[in-house]
Amino acid sequence: MYPISLFIVTTVLLFVFGLVALTIKRDLVRLLIGIEILFNAANLFFVALSTQGMGMIDPLPQSIVMMALVLDGTVIAVGLALALNVFKHYKTFDIRKLRRLKW
Amino acid sequence: MVGQEVFTQGLQLPLPMIISLLGAVATPFIGILSERTSAKLKDAWFLLISLASLIGVYQLYNMVKSTPNGVLLLYSWGQAPPLSGCFEVDMLGVYMAFGIAFLGLLVAIYSISYMEHETRVTEFYTLVTFMISGMFGIVLAGDLFTLFVFWELMGLSSYVLVSFLKQNWGPIEAGFKYLVMSATAGAFLLLSMALLYGLAGTLNFALLASSIRGNPLTGWTIVLFATLIIGFGVKSAIVPLHTWLPDAHPEAPSPISALLSGIVIETGLYAMIRLLYVVFEPELFKVPIAALALVTMTVGNVMALRQDDLKRLLAYSSIAQVGYMLIGVSTGLTYGLLGTFLHVFNHSMMKGMAFLSVGSIVHETGTRDINDLRGVGRMMPYTTLTVIVAFLGLGGVPGTSGFISKFILFSSSIGAGLGILAIFGVLNSALSMAYYLRVVMVLISGEPVEGVTAKEAPVLMLGVTVIMAIIVIVLGFFPDPIMGFASEASSTLLKGLANYIGAVL
Repeated sequence: MYPISLFIVTTVLLFVFGLVALTIKRDLVRLLIGIEILFNAANLFFVALSTQGMGMIDPLPQSIVMMALVLDGTVIAVGLALALNVFKHYKTFDIRKLRRLKW
Repeated sequence: MVGQEVFTQGLQLPLPMIISLLGAVATPFIGILSERTSAKLKDAWFLLISLASLIGVYQLYNMVKSTPNGVLLLYSWGQAPPLSGCFEVDMLGVYMAFGIAFLGLLVAIYSISYMEHETRVTEFYTLVTFMISGMFGIVLAGDLFTLFVFWELMGLSSYVLVSFLKQNWGPIEAGFKYLVMSATAGAFLLLSMALLYGLAGTLNFALLASSIRGNPLTGWTIVLFATLIIGFGVKSAIVPLHTWLPDAHPEAPSPISALLSGIVIETGLYAMIRLLYVVFEPELFKVPIAALALVTMTVGNVMALRQDDLKRLLAYSSIAQVGYMLIGVSTGLTYGLLGTFLHVFNHSMMKGMAFLSVGSIVHETGTRDINDLRGVGRMMPYTTLTVIVAFLGLGGVPGTSGFISKFILFSSSIGAGLGILAIFGVLNSALSMAYYLRVVMVLISGEPVEGVTAKEAPVLMLGVTVIMAIIVIVLGFFPDPIMGFASEASSTLLKGLANYIGAVL
């Protein structure tokens, strides 16, 4: 049994890193990496919670996290495919150049 | 034994979902076959799946009716719910599934004509069918994890569909924006799942309700509330999480705009409502949701006023309509929820019709700028008529179905002691008429701009919009059929929770 507070701190830190990456990074691929960090923070928290309580490791979160990893992977794959298409049109990966749609 | 058994041993899934899921998997093969024989084959297949899903929903309705407590529990290979994912089908799920299947069928008929001259039609059909099956999964899911899986299925297909016309830069940029925001929201949703698991030790809705509902407010529940709102709010376009919508919905092909605005954001809203009502008492989220409703409808309407792009205007109007729907959620009364779910169906008809008929106009004239569409009404009289019916319905003019649901929403907010919402709702409706009537006036008056020529839309596209216009007007005068169904559905959410818990335990 590991202390849960350690995992909570790590999760919060990873979430902050991910959100900071999403706000200040300009490269499309780095944005996708930021999303991946967010997903993994949530996954880590989920797995950490499964070790708490009832004296055994609950298999439910483990199986859910396995599925969630697959889902994250597909989202990132679609994101990379879109990033490639962005490069075809804009000849750059810089997110600041994607300003043609007005708000 | 209840439920549809796909294979003789125990894999039970709701019927409309199996049809659309297996249908989507088979579509590429039908597409290959169709290239060798006739192009009509894949169109017929697409129609067949959509029609079969609607019939499946009807069968599901009968099955839910025949259960003693109104909850149909479907699980696989003998794994009862606390240990496994499951589908808990109740009247609310069937109601939402009906809305999805009905709009899906209409859009399917429309897109056969719309996509005639496009390439990659098979991919389009496959993705649309996957998106619809994802929505079926969401509205029929019995635990949060099943919901999440189908949520991502719906999301993935919609990202690709938004950027479907990849030869233009607009759809790609909009699709990427949509993907980044929705995927971030997905991470928040996963975090909220982890928190719920940490608080209750399960993800099943019934067990969550029996263990968390009614507990006092702690720091963790506030974090949970925030993550749920962010996680579901991005897909349902609640201001300030709406910024992807005005880009993504106009840039998608018109049938997809109709599906996205008509039912996808409402599916997001459904998931949020379901979770909020399962986890919290209505008193806890009354004020925050009321504030969100106020901001959402005001921002949506004010931003729609200054748009020159017709599809973009409709996208902002969708945000405003989500604000109206949130009014009913914030009341916490069965009457308010009746208004919300009635408005979900009416909005799916009206906004679907608006996007489809505007899509016909854009398809014929090749421009989306309102100022270039002067006098189009003379060239496309019937399509313009459906646009007018849709816009009057969205504005809430008496005699259309939009009036009835809006009336219920505003009067319920007075009943719940949130009179300010009713005042702002009426003011917003008046404000929204300004931009709806502007479009109507531009379409029916003035001389056509040089170089813009149009003829009446093809008969299939026109037929679908005319049918929807008739539905909107008929439901405006005789709302009883849909009203009965919606009140049955909305009472499930509050009063049926005990049945829900009883079905699982």
